[in-house]
Amino acid sequence: MRIQRRWLTGLLLATSFTMGGVLGASAQDDEALAYYRQAKIDWRQAAGQSLTIGLNKHPFTESLLPLIPQFRSLTGINVEYLILPEAEYFTKLVADLSQQRGEFSVIMTGPVRNWQYVPPNWILPLDDFLNNPKLTDLGWYKLDDFYPALIAANRWNGKTGGGVGEGPLYSLPVLEESYILAYRKDIFDQYNIKVPTTLEEMAEAARLVKKNAGIPGIVARGTPSVASMGTGFMSGLKAYTDGQWSEFDDKLNANFHDPRSVKFTETWIGMIRESGPPNWANMQWYDAMEAFTAGQAGMIADADFFAANYEDPKKSKVAGKVGYALIPAGQGGKPYAGLWTWALGISKATKNKEAAWLFVEWATAQRTLLNATLGYRNYNPARASIMNDPRVQEIMGAWGDGSYLKVVAKNLETARVAWTPQSERTRLGDIWARSLHEIYFQRMSAADALKKASNEVDKVLKEAGIK
Amino acid sequence: MRTTRTRHWRREKALPYLLLAPALVLLAGMVYPFGLGLYYSFTSYWLQYPNRFRFVWFDNYVDLMSEPLFARALEFTLGFTLAAVVVQVGLGLAVALFLHGRIPGRSVIRALMLLPLMIPPVITALMWKIMMASTNAGILNYMLSFLGVDPINWFGSTQGAVASVLIIDTWGNLPFVALILLGGLQALPTEPYEAARVDGAGPAAILRYVTLPLLSPFIVLVVLFRTMDSLRIFDVIYATTQGGPNDATTNLHIMAYQYSFQWYQMGKGMAQAIVLLLLVVIVSYLLMRLWNRASESTS
Repeated sequence: MRIQRRWLTGLLLATSFTMGGVLGASAQDDEALAYYRQAKIDWRQAAGQSLTIGLNKHPFTESLLPLIPQFRSLTGINVEYLILPEAEYFTKLVADLSQQRGEFSVIMTGPVRNWQYVPPNWILPLDDFLNNPKLTDLGWYKLDDFYPALIAANRWNGKTGGGVGEGPLYSLPVLEESYILAYRKDIFDQYNIKVPTTLEEMAEAARLVKKNAGIPGIVARGTPSVASMGTGFMSGLKAYTDGQWSEFDDKLNANFHDPRSVKFTETWIGMIRESGPPNWANMQWYDAMEAFTAGQAGMIADADFFAANYEDPKKSKVAGKVGYALIPAGQGGKPYAGLWTWALGISKATKNKEAAWLFVEWATAQRTLLNATLGYRNYNPARASIMNDPRVQEIMGAWGDGSYLKVVAKNLETARVAWTPQSERTRLGDIWARSLHEIYFQRMSAADALKKASNEVDKVLKEAGIK
Repeated sequence: MRTTRTRHWRREKALPYLLLAPALVLLAGMVYPFGLGLYYSFTSYWLQYPNRFRFVWFDNYVDLMSEPLFARALEFTLGFTLAAVVVQVGLGLAVALFLHGRIPGRSVIRALMLLPLMIPPVITALMWKIMMASTNAGILNYMLSFLGVDPINWFGSTQGAVASVLIIDTWGNLPFVALILLGGLQALPTEPYEAARVDGAGPAAILRYVTLPLLSPFIVLVVLFRTMDSLRIFDVIYATTQGGPNDATTNLHIMAYQYSFQWYQMGKGMAQAIVLLLLVVIVSYLLMRLWNRASESTS
């Protein structure tokens, strides 16, 4: 019954958005516009100007497109957009930003990406826009409705090696992604396996799942890319060291070969070798997510919002069978989880800065983001009000018999960007990921492979003039 | 009168240039990006550090030589090319000989053979990636299980990944090789065959001493095409392994892409692209000479 109602709600929302797009201003549009017009600003102050938005292919993007005619009606600003897959999107974006062509006015970005764009002064701080009453009605916009951890993640004082949460705000989040452990509750219950709270317990649980249920005990990202490093693995490593370990020491020397990091990596890779899937080294995030969704793994430590996939009975073989827990911690028991947000920022080279801000303000407004969550499964909400919306609670509250929302809420108390700010994060992550392959394929010991990774990263940072 | 002659003279003189214009425009369109790439290969061009742009002469090339991954990538590039050419030309020749014979449904088989050529390589790669799932959920492993073969770890092991890329590339390009060689077989003169049969030569001897020598210009031609393509293969690798695992399928093209578009080091990326280009040019030149020699000897 609940499923039918959810399906009906989705259908109604999707239909209304489509009709809105096709028929232009309908009664629903008028109602929606009335919501935005409650803001005490002149939405039409930049009427006649044009914007091009750079968008990554993503559920948030899908949610935005049908609403763009509404934005045009509201502001008189003409909006064009370019949507590209993630890798191509970032390449195109860097090409545009580096040449300051201003092709994109508004960009889809995020905390770790901003570290690349801030030092060369490619993107604008948003504080001046937020604090300008002509452009923003803060009472209506409700900045404090965003989870504080997400706003902090998008602030940076520009200092290499630190300063996240301080200084200017460079982008506004459109979703929340932090990392948790999802496990097959049915298998764990059936074979009396303890939900792990430490790495060692996790490795044991993985072994028991494989032995008893005959499926990989754990599934994880494994391609030799930065994308494999920042989620479950890095959160696990940080948690293992009670948040003490970082990729760099105080002098910005790479620190992968730290004994704690070596020990964690040995155990993690040992767990993957012993109990993971045979194709771990070729697994992208979606391969890992799909494997778990298809019932082909006992655990996965990755993005919390993957739950939307696990719990979708139309796609998933494990809907209703999944439990959720925090990433296993270290001896101090201190929880740690990384965090990422897709977010909207403004290119410094844009000619229409005010128009760009009005777009960001509109696209990250409460109503727009609520539509994105309800109509397009843009999980997890970046705003507390959306997370607490009864319709959202009805959907997400059922996941993991209610454990999902509790774990996410607990996680958000301490989740933060795990990476150390510096502009060569992608390269660093790629080098680090390659070292895991050297260990997995037993070409090198963990200590040697991680020492080699540290040396390579030091060389790159020196070459880039960062240290 | 004089004006007409002048106009006529001008037209006469301008005509060749006008006719050449499209080719010149095309040439400029090719030369400019190449020249720019060559220039960048001598610079420290790094997209996200525009202020650090400077001319560094051969530094990028020297750095490349000292990079361990470069040696591995070069080794894989050459090894893969050799394997791909041998496998594809060998199988292509077998298929061409098979289709050249009088077999029922030959025209249908030929038409079906064109199918892989119509599918973009990236789609081919993704299609095979799904079929080559490492468990029995992958259709290929499922089929092999009937032959008693244990599930093969196609993309998750280094040898499996190399073999997978080779298989996918072969599936996509075998029809091309087979069709060229089939065209060659059909164009061969019949007299040498008749003479060989009169002399009592069997099928193996005819193949060895008549068909292969006569077909050699076509063989060298497909070797040339397949060598050039295999040296710079990118799409199949990028869509399936992205150069992994453990850099087992990283060739020079993938490496150039990583430097240029993942890490934005355009100068270094371009230097690798230039090295790859030189490799393609040298190998192609040698094969062209071989082709000329083969053409002359058969004519």
